[in-house]
Amino acid sequence: MTSAPTQSAPVEPDPTPAGDPPLQRILIATGRVARHAGLPVVIALLVGAVVLLATGNDPIAVYGRLATEAFGTPSRINATLAATTPILFTAIAAAFAYRAGVFTVGVEGSFVLGGLTAAVIGANMGGFPPVVAVILPLLGATLAGGLVAAVPAVLRAVWSVDEVVTTLMFNFIVAGLAGWAVQSFFQERGQANSATAYVAENAELPALAPPGQTSWALIIGLLLLIGYAVWMRRSTLGFEFRAVGSAPRFSTAQGLRVRTVLLTALLGAGLIGGLGGGSHALGIVHRYSEGFSASFGFTGIAIALLARFNPIGILVGAILFGALNAAGATVQLFINLPVQLIDILEGTVMIFAVAVFAFPRLSKRWAARSERRRP
Amino acid sequence: MSSTSTASVPGSGPAAIRCRIGARGVSRSFGPVRANVDVTLSVRPGTVHAVVGENGAGKSTLMRILYGLDQPDSGHVVIDDEEIALTSPRAAIARRIGLVQQELAIIPELSLLENLVLGEEPVRFGRIDWATALRRAEELSASVGVDIDWKAGAALTSIAIQQQVEILRLVYRGADVLILDEPTAVLAPAQAEELLRLLSSLRDAGRTVIFISHKLDEVVGVADHITVLRSGRTITEIARGEIDREGLAALIVGDSEVAERSVSRGDPGETVLVVEGVSAKDDRAVLRLDDVSFEVRSGEILGVAAVAGNGQEELAEVLIGIRGAASGDIRLDGASIGRASIRKRRLAGLGYVSADRKHEGLALGLSLADNSIATPALHGLARGGWLGPRRVAERVKEVLDRAAVRYGSSSDPASSLSGGNQQRVVLGRETIGNPRVLVASQPTRGVDVRGIGYIHELLRRARDEGAAIVLFSEELDELRELSDRIVVLHRGQVAGMLPGEASRSEIGALMLGNHSPEDDNPDADVPDDPTPGHPRSPRGGETV
Ligand SMILES: Nc1ncnc2c1ncn2[C@@H]1O[C@H](COP(=O)(O)OP(=O)(O)OP(=O)(O)O)[C@@H](O)[C@H]1O
Ligand SMILES: [Mg+2]
Repeated sequence: MTSAPTQSAPVEPDPTPAGDPPLQRILIATGRVARHAGLPVVIALLVGAVVLLATGNDPIAVYGRLATEAFGTPSRINATLAATTPILFTAIAAAFAYRAGVFTVGVEGSFVLGGLTAAVIGANMGGFPPVVAVILPLLGATLAGGLVAAVPAVLRAVWSVDEVVTTLMFNFIVAGLAGWAVQSFFQERGQANSATAYVAENAELPALAPPGQTSWALIIGLLLLIGYAVWMRRSTLGFEFRAVGSAPRFSTAQGLRVRTVLLTALLGAGLIGGLGGGSHALGIVHRYSEGFSASFGFTGIAIALLARFNPIGILVGAILFGALNAAGATVQLFINLPVQLIDILEGTVMIFAVAVFAFPRLSKRWAARSERRRP
Repeated sequence: MSSTSTASVPGSGPAAIRCRIGARGVSRSFGPVRANVDVTLSVRPGTVHAVVGENGAGKSTLMRILYGLDQPDSGHVVIDDEEIALTSPRAAIARRIGLVQQELAIIPELSLLENLVLGEEPVRFGRIDWATALRRAEELSASVGVDIDWKAGAALTSIAIQQQVEILRLVYRGADVLILDEPTAVLAPAQAEELLRLLSSLRDAGRTVIFISHKLDEVVGVADHITVLRSGRTITEIARGEIDREGLAALIVGDSEVAERSVSRGDPGETVLVVEGVSAKDDRAVLRLDDVSFEVRSGEILGVAAVAGNGQEELAEVLIGIRGAASGDIRLDGASIGRASIRKRRLAGLGYVSADRKHEGLALGLSLADNSIATPALHGLARGGWLGPRRVAERVKEVLDRAAVRYGSSSDPASSLSGGNQQRVVLGRETIGNPRVLVASQPTRGVDVRGIGYIHELLRRARDEGAAIVLFSEELDELRELSDRIVVLHRGQVAGMLPGEASRSEIGALMLGNHSPEDDNPDADVPDDPTPGHPRSPRGGETV
């Protein structure tokens, strides 16, 4: 009876179980990222070209100059990588949460509080042995970043409170809090703007190729990226992240750990953002000062979306934005270029990255809204 | 050729047109999978044309090509006897062709009326003219003899009504060829009949209908012509009356044997699942389950029979824990699980085949591999929180082979599988870990003739391995073949418990709430059509 009708076995060639060769996988992933990210980037370049033409510049010449300023010499590459470092962290943080379908915008706040915490601890590391002097501030920064995300995480996981609203609120809270704390407690005397004291020398993350600014923070970021990739692919919780992010009802019905996933996603993004802020403080700025984060948290969101959370895409995206920032800073020395052009380019890429990703969701919301106008 | 109703085709040009829509030599491959191979199809205007074939035979692929959603690697779509290249659905709509895909595209947040006119709202003074929209909608439903409350929110109406609205939406947009991919798969028998009547009246009004179905009775009964696909190839075309159900089944499967659908009973052991006085409410706080009690033993299949909307969906949800019980308790091997989380229940050995394959049964965007292992027992494949790729690959292969899934690569997304093969993935996954209890809801929905036999075999195997199975099905014959006992629900209460050998009329009478069939329902072999007037699906009544 049990003679199963030999129903069509798997089709022709041997079904490649779960793993194609790694190189091939990387190529496929890269291709996919290029497809998603290509459009926003191309549109941004076109918009930029229009602006350039309108302001009497030759787009090709300007773009050429930007490329040389970003990658032309070892020292320019170093500058690009230095600019890449903070947004690499924030992009990983955002991608980590988004994989689970959790749309946090709170990485910015975690980054800021992490930076402040690391700067304050780092300034008091004078007598400590070098490794400890680095690890303690980074640890503090990471925890601080997690702290910023804790309340939204609990609200989301337990009471399903929308994380966009709560994390945004915490960004404001942190921004106010940080400014106030610096002015009241940590203000370095003799500094015009509000800034903390410089960290002790042994608490600095050393530069990789002095005098260039790129530091060990980049190495930490790259390790983190690899960890992110492996963890998502190979860990059980990473598996559940992907499942919850792509099919929430399915995950619930299958008894996956939905709550744990939501909680971990928000907390994890905060921890990573905090570590990013700490690394930025110890590696580049060497203190905390007003304007510590040039909206790195939000650039990270754009990169994560552009990359569709893919690790290689995150790296490429971070370098792209890093290059724009680095080149933008110096290109005006050579040609008469509206400073805002760089902002326009970045802004356009971001807008389209978000649009390409979010449009399907938005149209659903609009549909829901028009329900109220039902006849 | 000349069907009875060709004469009245409005606007389809000279009566000389022989092929309103079709395919000539169409081939389409997805990597190694040859979904369509040199397919030929010719649909005469003003007829109902059925396309049948096994799961993965290439039916949906062909329909997508006819609608311009997909392009053939070679060959042509034929419209009005003319070979043309359909590059997009827009081009198809311009040729008055419409498609309802296998999965419904109704937007639940909108009203039925909004769903109907979406994208083509009548406008007056720059605003949507809802009065006109409503009038047109009512004319439309009246013209084909269906009764729809257009103002109801889509989420609150039954799937049968949503299905009708999807079809009428095509008509509203001026489609004259209606392509329907398995429109009756998710419907209860009575609802399916109503839908088929709708198709016939559309045909009588001169429209051309193509539909796919695995329910051969309805194909033989309704279609003017039938095209059979097998392994992506056209096997033959048959006219109405030339073939019966069995002949058609033989054509569909080819030389291979259809396992004789057989009856075999289990050998029940100790009591495993105890349901005790369970009551539950639906999303609108209406009582749907009222003090339901029963027991299921190891090695036993308990069938649940009920007319759609009498509490069976809630019962399945309460058993697995998706819906909380308002009162009562559930015990598994003596331990109370009535208040336990889904996860706890699953870890205690509860398997679940959801009737909602697209949302609950599978994560369509994830790979087959991911779908095959997505259970709490996932951790059995893990060491210290990490999944070993080799162990995972082995398990994936085991799951997919167990259910004889037809697939390309296990890294393909589940969405790339044909509908019936998707169902098999679910069955394979849920039966593999020797579940103590298996809650199986509509397990053969959308599955082909041979696949049904195969899934029945899987269920029996799970039973023989000691599982206590609760089987929900809209097919009474399926229940009678598989069940050791059948519990009948009526208005959320247990109307009776029958042996698996019970006749259709006995079951049917209880489903209608008649406790003594002999007395007041002498000629009651009607269980397939017991509805009108009864509550609809849980999400449902048509009115808010
Ligand atoms: N986008 C795709 N990518 C890869 N394979 C695909 C894709 N679409 C269809 N296929 C494959 O093509 C074959 C035919 O699929 P199709 O959906 O046309 O079958 P079907 O006849 O509609 O089956 P069912 O009755 O189960 O719905 C299947 O083997 C399926 O896996
Ligand atoms: Mg199909």
